[in-house]
Amino acid sequence: MDATVKSSFIAEQPKAPAKPLVLWRPSAKTGLISWLTTVDHKRIGIMYGLFAIFFFLVGGIEALLIRLQLAVPNNDILTAHQYNTLFTMHGTTMIFLAVMPLGSAFFNFIMPLQIGARDVAFPRLNAFSLWTFVAGAIIVNIGWFLPEGAPDGGWFGYAPLTSKTFIPRHSIDFWVMGLQLLGVASIAAALNFIVTIINMRAPGLTMMRLPVFTWMTLITSFLIVLSFPAITIALVELMMDRQFGTNFFEVSNGGMPILWQHLFWIFGHPEVYILILPAMGIVSEILPTFARKPLFGYPIVVFSGACIGFLGFAVWSHHMFTTGMGTVATAAFSLATMAIAVPTGVKIFNWIGTIWGGHLKMRTPMMFALGFIWMFMIGGFSGVMHSAAPADAQQQDSYFVIAHFHYVLIGGSIFALLAAIHFWFPLMFGRKVSEFWGKLSFWAIFVGFNVTFFPMHFLGLNGMPRRTFTYDGNMGWNSANLIATVGAFILGVGIALYFAVVIYTFFKGEKTGRDPWDGRTLEWSIDTPPREYNFAVIPTVHARDAFWYEKHHQAEIAKEKAEHAQAEDAHGGIHMPFQSVWPLVASVGALIGGIAACYHNLAWSLVGLVILLAGIFLWALEGADGYHIHLDKDGNILDEDAHAKH
Amino acid sequence: MRLFSLLPSLSRWVRGAFAFGALALLTGCDYKFWRMDGPQSTIVVDGPVARSQLGVFYTTVAVTFVIFVLVSAVLAYATLKFKARDEADENAEPPEQSHGNPLIELGLIGVSVLALVIIAVPTLRGIWYTHDIPVEDKENAYVVEATGLQWWFRFTYPNEQIEGAGPLVTANELVIPAGRPVRINLRTTDVIHSFWVPKLAGKVDMIPNRGNFLWLQADEPGYFWGQCAEYCGDSHAVMRFRVIALGPREFNEWLEQQSSPARSVQAVADANDAPQAQFASWKTEWKRNEKGYTEEFDLAPLDSWRAKQFPEKNEDPALIAKGREVFRNKNCITCHQVRGHEGAGLTAPDLTHVGSRTTIAGGLLENNAEQLARWLTHPNEVKPGNKMWTGIGAMNGYASVDKYGTVTARHIELNSDDVVALVAYLQSLK
Repeated sequence: MDATVKSSFIAEQPKAPAKPLVLWRPSAKTGLISWLTTVDHKRIGIMYGLFAIFFFLVGGIEALLIRLQLAVPNNDILTAHQYNTLFTMHGTTMIFLAVMPLGSAFFNFIMPLQIGARDVAFPRLNAFSLWTFVAGAIIVNIGWFLPEGAPDGGWFGYAPLTSKTFIPRHSIDFWVMGLQLLGVASIAAALNFIVTIINMRAPGLTMMRLPVFTWMTLITSFLIVLSFPAITIALVELMMDRQFGTNFFEVSNGGMPILWQHLFWIFGHPEVYILILPAMGIVSEILPTFARKPLFGYPIVVFSGACIGFLGFAVWSHHMFTTGMGTVATAAFSLATMAIAVPTGVKIFNWIGTIWGGHLKMRTPMMFALGFIWMFMIGGFSGVMHSAAPADAQQQDSYFVIAHFHYVLIGGSIFALLAAIHFWFPLMFGRKVSEFWGKLSFWAIFVGFNVTFFPMHFLGLNGMPRRTFTYDGNMGWNSANLIATVGAFILGVGIALYFAVVIYTFFKGEKTGRDPWDGRTLEWSIDTPPREYNFAVIPTVHARDAFWYEKHHQAEIAKEKAEHAQAEDAHGGIHMPFQSVWPLVASVGALIGGIAACYHNLAWSLVGLVILLAGIFLWALEGADGYHIHLDKDGNILDEDAHAKH
Repeated sequence: MRLFSLLPSLSRWVRGAFAFGALALLTGCDYKFWRMDGPQSTIVVDGPVARSQLGVFYTTVAVTFVIFVLVSAVLAYATLKFKARDEADENAEPPEQSHGNPLIELGLIGVSVLALVIIAVPTLRGIWYTHDIPVEDKENAYVVEATGLQWWFRFTYPNEQIEGAGPLVTANELVIPAGRPVRINLRTTDVIHSFWVPKLAGKVDMIPNRGNFLWLQADEPGYFWGQCAEYCGDSHAVMRFRVIALGPREFNEWLEQQSSPARSVQAVADANDAPQAQFASWKTEWKRNEKGYTEEFDLAPLDSWRAKQFPEKNEDPALIAKGREVFRNKNCITCHQVRGHEGAGLTAPDLTHVGSRTTIAGGLLENNAEQLARWLTHPNEVKPGNKMWTGIGAMNGYASVDKYGTVTARHIELNSDDVVALVAYLQSLK
């Protein structure tokens, strides 16, 4: 889209027409209402981040309780049921409520800035995604405060254990309905990102100039759109079994419990890449920035990401090597899983190639990014061990698997996300985290993490199954468990320190100006913290690493920008969308209806449904109105004119 | 689980913290945990299937270790070598803005594929070998059926038909012939379980509506630990079992003895024996999850198993007869079978020869008077939510519970005399 071309939607109307009261658009820029009704991708990103961090800490506390119980053999700190609830909620929370939304936070905040856009394609849908995510998170966790209890069927909720026969409490219904809403939120957000990335790139930003983080956002979004329907179906079937007595998984009437596993893992394995691809994107941004040279082999990094996404749909049954699939299926999934190691390994080679010959600036984000490579490599190698099905027969559902996926998810995803918080903090809030405290928290986390999870390899190979609330002292598991628990508390201290430092920095940290890291991509070209309109002038991209190019061709860019600014001003100024209450209302409807559905309560389900539909209807009715702003030469807003477009 | 239910356990957490500190000083017994030679080790194995799986594992370890050393050496070198030394270095002109080298990248992809082929070949061989008994050994194979139930294992011997009673059935301790391949058909009556004896073979799941099986073989007679490896509800962690492999003669003797109906004790074996231990002399207060094994047993588990095959020294026929009566009156018979006696239930473990097993409560507790009494008096603390406690279908257990696990009615109350008699009876069932 060329910014100089007059857009068709800029209407001739000088004044907004009168609207009925229900279509009132809030315009507060500060205060609670402004946050609840915001459609600004940056505010939505920040809220995603805050919710994610909250749930990350909740999930962490759950993990510490689990480790406390396992510190010594025959421990009785927790009951069996408490322990089972905790590991179910730890997994569910960390995957759906911590790592995914933290990724979403950066998709929201950073991706539009990287492509030179002023917002995502559908700002109100974005708000709906956020609030529906919150509704889902509330439903998943609501059992903590009710006699029903929180979900306790394991994070992959294998049928038929989750049927009403074996868990009659509504705890599983909360899990089903909560995950269903989280799925809606994720799919809506993913579609939004796909449309945004494909349609709203700045002029000149071809796909092969796209920053890798944006590429990974795109691939992740496609994975979400394609994989979530599988779990949606599975959850609908489970809900029907529990609420309406159908027989999808009910053996006595011909149901097939194994069907759940296939549906779940057809979602569940791409989900693993939904968690790790954003991390790979983040690392692919941080390493070039601090090595001060471009990413090594950009096309291969992008292509291998797509390849991982594609192959990710062909390996789901490696979670099921012990279900007796027979030799041919086992062999096929075994080989497909090995194949996926190739594009993954390629990325590691390229990251090393990136730092080779660079001038590495060892800032905190760089420490986390390098830590990521090391830890992800170990997690990847234990992954290759699992891909060999006969070896997996011994490792499946043992602590070896626990060690493996925590290396991938903490050492991989979390390390990268923690790197991302430090990396983009100056951009988001205009302040920088202290190097000393940042590095201290890195080392605490790094040491704590390894002390916790490395001994688990030994535990698993020594025959300790996962999800066990107690173990006997004569199995040879005592020391490794104790070490792991000590490590978990070191890790906990490290995480606490990390966030304490981040919170301190938010209020008191060293102020930074624009582009504190000598960045390479467009998000660093704007003011920090970014203005609501992001770019005073939509940039024109001339190369990969667009901002790096700008910095080295300043005269040319300045001239180009002045021309574009003039053109845009002549066509009405910068268009901004109005805020809206209806996405929030629709999500509240989903929350009410969701909780009622868990209790099989028809009346309240209908109330929720009506609110949801009314919200969507009014949201459609109010239209995509917006207003225009004009800027002075320092980027301050001169005036706004409320302006309705069709 | 409700959040607030965690609060009352705060005092236990404090105690736990102390136990934690104390144990930090005391865990000497397995400080060499990296040897991974515990009773459920997948590294120190005792059968061809587990050995084949271990071989594949070692191949993956070898290949990935070599790659790890190479890659990490380059990574470490690059990090140290190209690190900016000082501020001047950091602010120096940026390095050459190079974009990659397709040849190097393609070369590395080629090498990765090659490394994977090295893993793939033994993997494929292993998949076929571990899947089913080799054709030439099929003739020689012994077949048993293992059924998973919440939370115990039933073992059925289809080849050992007992006159008027169907196949031989036992529970929680699988006895197999050593040196012979054994095919184990895997079944479940409720949720998914997984059958895992790490020293003999990797796990295969027991899935409703699915005829799974696995095979394994023990090189030598031995005593092996196993446990359920798929989360199957509240007491998954304490759903365990044992496998005992015996030489051909001993195995046949065992089959013969198990096929006979339950033993009835008629006369005092030896008047000079010490009187049977009484309830008061046993430990009666138990913490949740308190250990139910003894170190003496672990020293020579197979010998401990052999010793269990003989009647207890100090049997008291009157007490045993009373125990048999309690067993009937307290409705144990509706769920438990004692072939030849009154017990006729099929939903719970067959107890015809329970006295000859080394463990009770699903491989969790050692089979001795004290632990038997513990199991009879604290079933829900030993194995939360178990069917002996909650009942199954229309058959009452100790109590009726609602869906939150709260007791709504009590059905079975045992006084200490009942417990003593029951223990004597169960111990007599050799």
